[in-house]
Amino acid sequence: MDANTLIFGSMTVISLAIFFYLGQFKASTKQTERDDRISWSERNFSIGKILLYSLVLIGGIVLVSQFL
Amino acid sequence: MSNHRALQMFGRSGNPALNADTFGNSVKPSPSGIQSTSSDTMTLEGTVNKTGILLALVVLSASWTWNMFFESGNPATVMPIAFGGAIVGFILALVTIFKKQWAGTTAPLYAIAEGLFLGAISGIFEMQYPGIVIQAVGLTLGTLASLLFLYKTGIVKPTENFRLMITSATMGIGLLYLVSMLMNMFGSGGIGFIHSNGLFGIGFSLFVVAIAALNLVLDFDFIEQGSEMNAPKYMEWFGAFSLMVTLIWLYLEMLRLLAKLRSR
Repeated sequence: MDANTLIFGSMTVISLAIFFYLGQFKASTKQTERDDRISWSERNFSIGKILLYSLVLIGGIVLVSQFL
Repeated sequence: MSNHRALQMFGRSGNPALNADTFGNSVKPSPSGIQSTSSDTMTLEGTVNKTGILLALVVLSASWTWNMFFESGNPATVMPIAFGGAIVGFILALVTIFKKQWAGTTAPLYAIAEGLFLGAISGIFEMQYPGIVIQAVGLTLGTLASLLFLYKTGIVKPTENFRLMITSATMGIGLLYLVSMLMNMFGSGGIGFIHSNGLFGIGFSLFVVAIAALNLVLDFDFIEQGSEMNAPKYMEWFGAFSLMVTLIWLYLEMLRLLAKLRSR
C-alpha cells in the first residue's frame, strides 16, 4: 500500500466515522436557537432574484476570464 | 462529462429541491398533548442511516462499472452504461424532487444509476492519473465531515442571505455548464476556461468546489429542521437523497480539480 492510498484511505474512513457519529446528534443551541435561521417552509426571495444574481455571477466570471 | 454535470446541476436537490414546498405540504402538526414518535416522523439517526445505505449502493454499482472498465481497458465498453446511468439518474432525481413521497424507492434507484456513471468516470480518471480517485474520495468525505462539525457546533450559521447566495451561485454554475454543453453540441468547443488547466481554470474549479461544499451546509440545515418539525418518515429518504446529490457533485468537481492540477 502506497502513501497516497494510506493517507487518503485513512481520511476516508475517519471522515465516514465522524459523519455517522456526529450526524446522529442535534446541532448546538448556538445553531438552533437563533432568529435568523432559514425557514424551509417559506421562500423569502423570488426565482427572479435568484436568476438575476446568477446572471450577474456568470457575467462577472466571463468578464474576469477575458482579463486573465 | 460536462453533459452529466449540467444534468446534475438541474436535477440536484441540494438547492432546487429544497424550496418553499419542501416542508410546506409534508410537516405533520403535532396536536397538543400527543407525542410524536420516531417511528412515523423524520429523525437525524434515520436520515444518517439512509445516507449510509445510499452511499453503499453508489459504491456497489460503481465497483461494477469500475471492474468492467479495468478488465477491458477500453472506455467504449463502459460509456453506454455510464451515460445510461447518468440519464436514468437525472430522471429519477427529477421524480424524487417532485414526488418526495416516492423517495424511499427512487432515492436508492438514483444511487445505483449514479454509481454506474461514477464507476466508469472514476476508472477513466484513474487510468490517466493513478491514485486520483482515492484522493477525490478522501477530500470529498473530509469536506463532508469538516462541514458537519462546523454546522453542528454553530461555527457556520446558514441564514436566508446565505441560502440566496449559494442557490444563485449554484444556478449560475449550472447555466454556465449548460451553455458550455450546448456550445459543445454545436461544435464550437464549449467555454474554454471551464476545462482549462491554467490559473483561471483551476480558480474556477476551486470556486465550484467551494459552492458545492457550502451546499452541504444547506442540506444539513434542511435535515436538522426536518427532524425538529416532525416531518414525515419518507423525508428521511429525501434528506439522504439531497445529501447524496450534493456529495456526487462535490466528488466530480474534486476529480476535475485534481485532474487539472496533475495535468499541469
